[in-house]
Amino acid sequence: MHPVRLALPLVFASVSFAQCEPLTVVSWGGPYQQAQSEAIFKPFTEATGIEIKVLSYDGSIESINERAVAENWDVVDMVEDRAIAGCEAGFLLPFDAEEIVLQDQAVPVRQDFVEGAFRECSVAQNVFATVVAFNVRSYPGIKPTRMEDFFDVEAFPGKRAVQKSPDAILEWALLAEGVPARQVYDLLSTDRGLKLALRKLSEIRDHIVWWDDVADPVQLLANGDVSMSTGYNGRFFSAASNDGLPITIIWDGRLIGHEVWAISNASGRIADAELFIGFATAPEQLAALAELIPYGPARRSGQLRVGLKPDGTIPMRDHLPNAPQHGERFLTRDTVWYAHTRDLRDRRFQAWLNEKQD
Amino acid sequence: MTERKNRENPTQGEGGAFYRIVTLCLMAVLVGFAVSLASIAFVDSFAWLNRALLISPRIRVQYESNPMLLVAATLLVPALGGVVVGAMFSWLSCERRSLGPADVVRAAQLNLPLPDFRSGIVSTLAAVLSLGSGASVGQYGPIVYLGAMVGRAAAYLRIRIQALPTIAIACGVAAAISTAFNAPIAGLVFAHEVILRHYSMQAFAPTTVASATGYVVANVMFDRPALFLVNFSGVGHSHEFILFALLGVISAGIAAIFMKMILQSAELAARTRLHATLRTGFAGLAVGVAALWLPDVLGIGTEALRFATIEGAFSSLELLVLVAAKIFLTALCIGFGFAGGVFSPALLIGILSGALFWTMIDSVQFVPHSGIAAYAICGMMAVASPVIGAPLTVILIVFELTRNYDLTIAAMVAVVFSNLVSYRIVGRSLFDLQLERQGIDLSTGRDKARLDAMRVSEHATGDYARAGPDEWVADVNARLDRGNWKEVYVLDVEERYLGKLRHEELTAFGNARISEVVVPPELEFNERTSMREALEALGSYAGDGVPVVLSNDRRLLGIVTKASVIRAYLGEVDSIRAEENAPG
Repeated sequence: MHPVRLALPLVFASVSFAQCEPLTVVSWGGPYQQAQSEAIFKPFTEATGIEIKVLSYDGSIESINERAVAENWDVVDMVEDRAIAGCEAGFLLPFDAEEIVLQDQAVPVRQDFVEGAFRECSVAQNVFATVVAFNVRSYPGIKPTRMEDFFDVEAFPGKRAVQKSPDAILEWALLAEGVPARQVYDLLSTDRGLKLALRKLSEIRDHIVWWDDVADPVQLLANGDVSMSTGYNGRFFSAASNDGLPITIIWDGRLIGHEVWAISNASGRIADAELFIGFATAPEQLAALAELIPYGPARRSGQLRVGLKPDGTIPMRDHLPNAPQHGERFLTRDTVWYAHTRDLRDRRFQAWLNEKQD
Repeated sequence: MTERKNRENPTQGEGGAFYRIVTLCLMAVLVGFAVSLASIAFVDSFAWLNRALLISPRIRVQYESNPMLLVAATLLVPALGGVVVGAMFSWLSCERRSLGPADVVRAAQLNLPLPDFRSGIVSTLAAVLSLGSGASVGQYGPIVYLGAMVGRAAAYLRIRIQALPTIAIACGVAAAISTAFNAPIAGLVFAHEVILRHYSMQAFAPTTVASATGYVVANVMFDRPALFLVNFSGVGHSHEFILFALLGVISAGIAAIFMKMILQSAELAARTRLHATLRTGFAGLAVGVAALWLPDVLGIGTEALRFATIEGAFSSLELLVLVAAKIFLTALCIGFGFAGGVFSPALLIGILSGALFWTMIDSVQFVPHSGIAAYAICGMMAVASPVIGAPLTVILIVFELTRNYDLTIAAMVAVVFSNLVSYRIVGRSLFDLQLERQGIDLSTGRDKARLDAMRVSEHATGDYARAGPDEWVADVNARLDRGNWKEVYVLDVEERYLGKLRHEELTAFGNARISEVVVPPELEFNERTSMREALEALGSYAGDGVPVVLSNDRRLLGIVTKASVIRAYLGEVDSIRAEENAPG
């Protein structure tokens, strides 16, 4: 780490202010993107004078391939496994993340960031959880608490909303089958494991409502179309705390993943893109984001700074995916495995979906 | 003879009880720590190889789009691994074979040294490679040997305590099992049940310390995951215990087949004229070919271990084929020269058999049962236990791994019945069977085995009267009178033994040459005669001294007297008693 990186203003002073073209940052829309605007995008423009144009996408590599060049994408907010796949496919630019991120006090960045944060084309920024949530009104008596309950339509009747993708649901199917979290990916790596997971999914096949858009789960739960839904912890939290919806999260079996920043290979402003990533992964910005939406900072120095929601109502650290009271059973997404098995899992999942139509 | 020279001479205990306790415990901590680190390094090394060589399913699945690469890796990795393992044994190891628990049992029971250090290292590295390249062998045998080797090295410390080498070996083995299974109590019991085979306070305390140290290193310092976690809510019906016992009996049969096939495969390998490299390479190739259709046979099979506890993961036919294939391939790999143990394959064979047993129970509609997990675990332990001859250890492993009391009781029933039956069919364990083939019989206690291992020639003396065949009887008589000898041994000019004469017999003869009166020997020993054979022969022998004659050229090595044999016997019994009853 170069000493000059420690002095934030110096870095920004060195930036050319002559650029009038805004930096294009691509994110996911909805409450997440709103929170990013408040915590990262606006402060960045204030600090550097560089305008930001924000676009939204669906997180897929296909979108990058189709849109990045036409829309001048610079920086992209991605889930880690897609970034790994995108990097291998050549849609993203490699960069030396350890040189870009800002050091906090004297802690070496490798120790500060979560394990595996620095990859060839990406750097981890926050930690999110894919979880199951339920509409509390659907279960006036005993409430579901475990991943097994999601697959138990007798004890907990009602429709389940599931993302139309093999992500997360296959892992959960094995967890519900009694497989310890530590072994889930080993077993899913075998033909037998995939069959077992899909067999488990078949048990609730007729109770599934599929969703595609990340905003759907909250909508489906709020409308009462489904009783339980898979989705991201931040959006469920926002729905409950900001919009007062009767939605609560089952933390058991949560699938923890890393959200990363990457640079599109269509970017013509690599220096500014790197400057942005350095700013966006600073502990203060990550903590500010986590106070708006409970996606935990991907570095310890950021986690330590997370305080109250800005309206002063909720201590946000309790709602981060890695809060200790959420229980011991969780999975950490094996992102390299994810990136390299996407085709296989998609193929098997699609075949299973087609079985249904027969 | 050389054996006697190498025999460990336990120094008599010196210093007070306090000195003994403190030094032994410090040594145990040291051994426990070192063995634990070594075991973790061992496991991590072959796991790394599994990933690097495309054996681990979690890596293989990521190359799913490149099927030719996977087929090539499946066929070539175990085959080439076998070639390299064979080469290592042929050219680097003095023992030229894989070392395992049987060698440790031999050393501890007969108070003999372990095979040389270099062979031990080669065997350990060969085991890393065997496991790393996906051969159907186990990890625990080499880990036990590694533990014993590290423990034995500690016995070179200059502390003067009786039977230190054996205690140090037991400490190493206890720490190895404790680390490998995350099961400190099982480690302690295994060291006693399999290695020491007796309980003395002097050995008990340090093995406990070593076992606990291994556990602390594995759990607290490295946070190693438990081997096997299983959810089990309890045995629901009392009649199931009969089923567990029945499963135990069936498991004994499977274990017996498994052990017999391993021994036969080793004999077959000895008969083939193939060079060791090709022989082991062939076994590896066989594993690879089988793995093309049955991927579960490749490597240790932790995935299959888990699947076996999930209802419906395997069909009955798949289970049957897998059990047969795993028995066959493990026997082939071990017999044909891969380095590795038998316990993990036995666990896998057992759990699949247990699952198979459950599918049959389940197919009978009106027999209520408590689910597949209990039967799978019972089968797993009931097959593995007779193979290593350690029912107590195995019961404790279930307890420590699952922390489930109900499941432990169920497994206990199956394990005990299995051991009972298997003991009758084949014997105490595979290790004892292997030793039996080396001529060491531990089935009737170790005093007998030790007397079997002792050579009577070690007690031969050169202090005797001799005569040539051409001498006159009168001259010899006069010489015997002067030296107060009762017997004379007749040797020709090339020191070949012709016979012996008693003094009083000689006086009866007058003017004759010795060659005319010498009688052929009524009892003689050779360099291979064991102490036990000597004791039995001497029981009905009237004379005093017995000649020890080299079997190849009939040269006289020396003579042993009744008194010296009895002294040696009492000495050995004393040393065993001292070891077994040593205070802490």
